[in-house]
Amino acid sequence: MSLWVDKHRPRSLDDLHYHHGLSARLKALAASGDFPHMLFYGPSGAGKKTRIAGTLLELFGKGAEKIKIDQRVFQTPTKRKLDVNIVQSNYHIEITPSEVGNYDRLVIQDILKEIAQTQQVDLNAKQRFKVVVIHEADALTRDAQAALRRTTEKYMSNMRLILCANSTSKLIAPIRSRCLLMRVAAPNPEEMQTVLDFVAKREGFSIPEDTVKLIAEDSEGNMRKALLVLEALKMQNPDLSASGLSIAKPDWETYCHKVADMIVQEQTPARVMEVRAKLYELLSHCIPPTVVLKTIAEKVVEQVDEALKPDIMHWAAIYEARMRVGNKKIFHLEAWVVKVMSLYKNFFYDIDMDGFDD
Amino acid sequence: MLEDLSVSVAQKLSADDAEELRKPVQLTNTTNTALWVDRYRPKRFTELLGDDRVHREVLAWVKEWDCCVFGKGKARGKKRARGDEDGENLDEWQRPKEKLLLLSGPPGLGKTTLAHIVAQHAGYEVFEINASDARSADVVDQRIRPALESGAKVGSSRPNLVVIDEIDGATGGSDSSGGFIHKLVQLVQERPRKKAKKGEPHPNRPLLRPIICICNDLYAASLTKLRPHARIVRFSRPHDTHIVRRLREICEREGMKADARALATLVGVAQGDFRGCLNTLQMLKARNKDITENMVRSATQGMKEAEASQMTVLNDLFAPISRKRAKELGIREDEVRFVSRLSREVEGCGSMDKVALGCFEHYALLHRHDGTLTRYVKGTEWLCTYDTMSGAMRTDREYSLMPYLAYPLVAFYPLFQERGAQKAERPKADWEHYNQTKTNKEIYESLARCLRTASSRSGGNWRHFALEPLLQLEIAPYINRIISPPLRPVNSQVIRPAEKALLARLVDIMATLDLRFVQEKNEDGQLVYRLDPPIDVFVTYDGKRAADIAVSRYAVRHLVAAEIDAQIIARHADVLEKSKGGKSNFFSGREKPVPDEGQPAKKRAKQDEKPGEKVAVDFFGRPIMPKDKSEQGAKGAKAAPRVKPYRVAYKFNEGNSAAVRRPVKVSAFL
Repeated sequence: MSLWVDKHRPRSLDDLHYHHGLSARLKALAASGDFPHMLFYGPSGAGKKTRIAGTLLELFGKGAEKIKIDQRVFQTPTKRKLDVNIVQSNYHIEITPSEVGNYDRLVIQDILKEIAQTQQVDLNAKQRFKVVVIHEADALTRDAQAALRRTTEKYMSNMRLILCANSTSKLIAPIRSRCLLMRVAAPNPEEMQTVLDFVAKREGFSIPEDTVKLIAEDSEGNMRKALLVLEALKMQNPDLSASGLSIAKPDWETYCHKVADMIVQEQTPARVMEVRAKLYELLSHCIPPTVVLKTIAEKVVEQVDEALKPDIMHWAAIYEARMRVGNKKIFHLEAWVVKVMSLYKNFFYDIDMDGFDD
Repeated sequence: MLEDLSVSVAQKLSADDAEELRKPVQLTNTTNTALWVDRYRPKRFTELLGDDRVHREVLAWVKEWDCCVFGKGKARGKKRARGDEDGENLDEWQRPKEKLLLLSGPPGLGKTTLAHIVAQHAGYEVFEINASDARSADVVDQRIRPALESGAKVGSSRPNLVVIDEIDGATGGSDSSGGFIHKLVQLVQERPRKKAKKGEPHPNRPLLRPIICICNDLYAASLTKLRPHARIVRFSRPHDTHIVRRLREICEREGMKADARALATLVGVAQGDFRGCLNTLQMLKARNKDITENMVRSATQGMKEAEASQMTVLNDLFAPISRKRAKELGIREDEVRFVSRLSREVEGCGSMDKVALGCFEHYALLHRHDGTLTRYVKGTEWLCTYDTMSGAMRTDREYSLMPYLAYPLVAFYPLFQERGAQKAERPKADWEHYNQTKTNKEIYESLARCLRTASSRSGGNWRHFALEPLLQLEIAPYINRIISPPLRPVNSQVIRPAEKALLARLVDIMATLDLRFVQEKNEDGQLVYRLDPPIDVFVTYDGKRAADIAVSRYAVRHLVAAEIDAQIIARHADVLEKSKGGKSNFFSGREKPVPDEGQPAKKRAKQDEKPGEKVAVDFFGRPIMPKDKSEQGAKGAKAAPRVKPYRVAYKFNEGNSAAVRRPVKVSAFL
């Protein structure tokens, strides 16, 4: 038993509902026998992993679907044990090196070397090489990316890489130049609606027109989220009529919006303390601080005067960058909150106070 | 000639020797060389400086040992003097309740001196262990125990008293069971067994001599285990006038002229550290006879860096300098310059991170009017700078940044200092947040584990959700909504078909994910069903659940829990069947389980009811072709009877045999 997201996930490239041009190219590549290293990138929920799975199926046939999942233990030079979850079939292996944080270089080196130095044993295999899929490639540290550079060229005969990332900006240029870039764009609302309708039909019910539209717009091009929302809605009120139906936002998002409202309503030190308590609550729910900052900033910008918007976003960007360097995320989050409050006050008084600072 | 020469040389040498011998004696006799601290160390109980009550308390504790150490005679006398109440304190060896005395207080107040004098006064010989000795666990066994158990030192008739100086630097306060403190506590707690076993050479004897421990920081982490076993005596700084009086006496004896103000300044700067005062005086004496306030100031430049606790540093950052402290430091109250004073203080307190946290938690509580929050912006800016620098220092190991770390914090002084503002409190919100995060992380971890097991069961379907940001941002909130449909609490038999489908789906998802409802009693004694792992915390913010998720009622959860259990049992049986069917069946869906040669006979027994109908398969699940039959027969007798009933029955003895195996022809038996 699985969720609809998984249950109705297209297995092959032919089953995909959108980006048909991309599917055709992938098929051609897989058939050509000269398969390059690839980098799939695009927003979350656009269908990168589905396309990777489809490509693998195209390359190796049914054997690539027989996967097993196990945990491997790596040891750091300082004798720390790291657990890494590995998904593999006879023809490919999937890893998420960012699971182990700063030690990802180790995992990359170990696994890649191991795969690269053994040839394909199965004589019936369609291809002579194995494929290594690296998820969240944009979270790799610089060291790990550097470790990828040479191996990609050296072991080309035995191995191909497929990287999966949200954006290419965090990958170093040498990696980007060694891979064929594949952009998987987010589906547009119409495409999402067809997928939603398809899933509903397969499940044996139909969704009212308005509801489909609502879900598709609300999930902003994230197919996974749209399907999760659909399933949640179906579970909570089975008739799915659009009247009075409200789409539940994830709780952290609602909470972030609450924080944004608080910032706009009042700008005092006391309010700073209240906001801080809320920020702590968000962080303790393990919501990534950059996501928190981004969500709040977007919501604040919606509510303030046009003239203030660029400034607020500008500072949000600056504090997010600093946050990545520092340790105490809460310092930076609050610094931004105070900055926004100050900007707002300054704007409200309509005086440029900068000259009067003590 | 040669003999003469050698004799003269020998004489000369011996003369030299004698001279050299005489010299050090003379040196020690001259008053110049001895430290004043030693020269004016109190020799008798009555000469001690400071709070008399503390001294008497220590002496009283040592005296409580009298009846244990010196026998009954004295004990009776003491008891009469002090009343009957003490009788309860004493155990079978007439020892006091706490076998250790822990003296604590800032340096230079005379703790060590007190311990020595009291021991002498009460008739003990002192056996001292301090930081210069090794303080590993063996020391307890090798040195302390013999010292305690031996009657007396050679050449004296007095019993030993152990003084463990500077104990806060000792090892083994934490959980490690090998440390010094741990061993010491064991020593104290030891009770002799009634009958010592024969094999043991040294039956542990009880502790029969007093031990005095001395420390600066009573709350050092290494002492946590020791504290419950010790009587604790705190030293406090004696009143300045007492110290000044004693200093003046000493000055007079040394022939120095010192005015009272100079001495008071000295004591103020040293913050009551008598040893420090004496050393400073001696140094001043080396230069000239008269002592003035200015000289004291210049001589005590370095002493200002007294250790300040994190809290005092915080309060100094947020409040202007007090009149008293300003006087002590010899600066004017309206002194503008603060950077060097505060930065040194911040650096001195040792835990800059905590000071930074304290600043963070305190600055927004100050309500001085600031229309555009400019000061607050600046404050947070400094905090960010601090964090960036310390982050860079830690991750890139750039410890050369260390000296600059204090300055961003000092910046809070000009921004926020305010007389009479509320005091800074010990930062705690961050610690709470840290703990909360840790528990939530564990729950996420268990959810991820659930997802992974689910994915390994269902061929990799759930695996994409177990990745880090997705788990928190998408799956956690939505899975909670998916598993809480609005069900009515009715019997599962009379439920409507639509609801039945809903229930079935819910149960299916929960069972796959290993989510359960666990029955528990809450604090009111009511039975409740709790979700396990408690992933509903992810929709709970500020202690309130999301509004759109109805809390399912007890009856509903009861129903669901029962269904889940049934489902799991059914699945378990399913899996068992499947595993019998071999690997190939596992992937190709549910087929009728078929008997398998590789299975042990016990499991197979159930299936063997109708052996004729089913196809025999080998270990890999492939149906066995007829041509294999001869091979099968060769494999062993086990499979044979099922294929076709033979007349011949084999019987063999299982187990080991030492017999030699070799091929023998049948004719040999005929």
